[in-house]
Amino acid sequence: MSIVDGLEVTGLSRHFGEITALDGLSFGVPTGQVIGFLGPNGAGKTTTMRAVFGLMDLESGSITWKGEPVSQHIRRKFGYMPEERGLYPGMLVGDQVEYLGRLHGMTAIDARRETLNWLDRLEIADRFDSRVDSLSHGNQQRVQLAAALVHDPELLILDEPLSGLDPTGIETIGGVLTEQARQGRGVLFSSHQLDQVEDLCESVVIIESGKLVAAGTVDDLATQGPRRLVVRVEGDRDGQWARDLSGVTISEFSRGDVRLILDNGTDSDIVLKAAMQSGKVTQFSFERRRMSEVFREAIS
Amino acid sequence: MNPIGEYFPATIGARGTITVVVVLLLVALRLIRHLRARSIRKARSADISQASVNSDDNSRQLTSASRKQKSKRFQLPWARSYTAQVAGREIRERLRAKSIRIVTFMILAAVGAAVVIPVLTKAKAKTYEVGVVGPISRDTSVALAQATKATGTVARLASVVSKKTADQEVKSGKLDIAYECSAGILTNQAIAATDTSGKARLVRQLSLEIGIAEAFNEAKLSPSQIEAISRAKPVKVFSLQPPPKVTQSDRNTALLGIIVVFVMLNQYNTWTLIGVMEEKSSRVVAVLLSTIKPIQLLGGKVIGIGTVALAQAGLVIAFALALGKAVGSSLLSGTAPSMLAASLVWLLVGYAFYCWVYAAAGSMAERQDQVQTLAIPLSIPIVAAYVIALSTVSSAHPSLFTVVLGYIPLTAPLVMPVLVGIGHATWWELLVSVCISLASTVLVARFAATIYRRAVLRTRGRVRIRDVVRASNG
Repeated sequence: MSIVDGLEVTGLSRHFGEITALDGLSFGVPTGQVIGFLGPNGAGKTTTMRAVFGLMDLESGSITWKGEPVSQHIRRKFGYMPEERGLYPGMLVGDQVEYLGRLHGMTAIDARRETLNWLDRLEIADRFDSRVDSLSHGNQQRVQLAAALVHDPELLILDEPLSGLDPTGIETIGGVLTEQARQGRGVLFSSHQLDQVEDLCESVVIIESGKLVAAGTVDDLATQGPRRLVVRVEGDRDGQWARDLSGVTISEFSRGDVRLILDNGTDSDIVLKAAMQSGKVTQFSFERRRMSEVFREAIS
Repeated sequence: MNPIGEYFPATIGARGTITVVVVLLLVALRLIRHLRARSIRKARSADISQASVNSDDNSRQLTSASRKQKSKRFQLPWARSYTAQVAGREIRERLRAKSIRIVTFMILAAVGAAVVIPVLTKAKAKTYEVGVVGPISRDTSVALAQATKATGTVARLASVVSKKTADQEVKSGKLDIAYECSAGILTNQAIAATDTSGKARLVRQLSLEIGIAEAFNEAKLSPSQIEAISRAKPVKVFSLQPPPKVTQSDRNTALLGIIVVFVMLNQYNTWTLIGVMEEKSSRVVAVLLSTIKPIQLLGGKVIGIGTVALAQAGLVIAFALALGKAVGSSLLSGTAPSMLAASLVWLLVGYAFYCWVYAAAGSMAERQDQVQTLAIPLSIPIVAAYVIALSTVSSAHPSLFTVVLGYIPLTAPLVMPVLVGIGHATWWELLVSVCISLASTVLVARFAATIYRRAVLRTRGRVRIRDVVRASNG
């Protein structure tokens, strides 16, 4: 698949000693969308992001932006928020964001103005003259995001932008990411908070051991695969009634709800009858796969 | 005339110079703060007006583009470069730090003391009281005059009525020295053979002069014969080469120069080492290298610190020269200004060579304790060169080994200025040494940049050089 209007990584490979970090990884990030980049720890997400920014030499593979190989000049159109964050602790917030804007080719006046805009938008304008190390973790995260956005990037690549944030911070940053995508920019972000990914993203890319294991829109991934049922039977909170049913696998049970996966050809009426024989059925409905299930099944 | 009286107007001049320098610095700092605050106010007001005019995102983008057109100002091409941006940040942050103001003040105070104290000490030269038991003879007066002239001391003769009185006054300190014809010269405490104080030199010379006078008297020479002997001149000494034009003052200036180079070179190298380490440990280096090249980041850092170093060293040397001129210090007379300027050149040459090495070392460390481990071996050549330079200044006779060290880039910044200062290196030898250092700097910079590029993004503990040399980036 070739994505002309966006980022395309093709066949990325990289080893660290005997560890395979990237193993022929290929996927695309179209503009105008928020893409979730998922994978367990050590799957190669950070390595991939670093490779896009030239911070990692690749053994093979290519990275293109709108059909052109990604060069230093093109990278200046990208915004990056690394996983371990990266700010000068002793530098003033405003100076820091402005400086990073200038390193992306902005003039001093534009960098100053956009710095004020973004600090205001991210609700930390009053910390313009504060040292970065005097800020809370959440506010440092906002400064980092402002630094990634100050130069009006065409593509945002954010490594764990939501980790450690309170609900207000998640809402603010999530709103900014959605707004950026709506304005035609590409947004790729990694996260382990799958509920937030489901809320924010149109599509996800799931990798494991440096390989692509699933990719597509959230809707497609949620509706793919076998049918799923949520059943609640009074007095049977752990789904004992379903254990002996053929063609049915218990996916999980929590707070009285039992989630079942039906094999192809299994009749849902048979499942309903079995539930009713066990007790009073208070819920019986089909459901989409949640992102956590998509993720778990993809990497299993 | 009272020597203090001669010195007093010069002291006013020195105070004036210091006051002017301090006032100029304060005014400059105030101006920078004012301009910065005005820039922020302008940006804020423009931002508010823009927010009221632009209601949607598209129009916001359009005005952003038009602003970019308006805000184009004339700048030198280099000033717009990314290396210049990095250097500019380095300069701003260094100047904003309190530590540089404190260190600069301490260096200025130390240099000021080194320039002023010898002048004050000289101005307040002690007048030795020399007592003579009985009437003061002409021979004794002449002997004392010749002794003070030979030793550069000041003494005054006083007649004492008896030996007992002389003993008491020497013991009480009223007299420094007493002379009695039959007993000789009396001092309160015995003069050690190694004592080089003014009093010790005066006592030795006075005993010699009086001994000669007594020998003349015993020989019963006529006044004309004594005068003829006194007019004796040493025979002319011929040499194959002219004498080196080096004075004690030149040596002192060379000493001051190497101390300044040593202190500052260590300071700037440490700045580079810690600066690189902090960028790595704070992970900001990943953000920076996502948009600029490693050589741009490293080059900007080195240039920025080098600029601050040049400004600080220039300020110290200008201060030393101005103060020296104001107080009439011999430390900064004659060839001293050019020698101090040469020290400044060597400071820059030394920094240019070492900064790359320290930057590469900083890129391999992540914590303060690792910095110490790396800094100690790197500083060994500098410390060794410093010790050798100090001993060479004292002896004024460099060994062949020392001369060779003057051409090795690791030691040349400290050794070569001394060789020049004591007259053991000519201008072309100095030039050769500078050229060797600069050529080596190019090679070292290339190697260090490779190490930096490969090590600075490795964040899992301390990086070993052999791993970096063999490995690729990341």
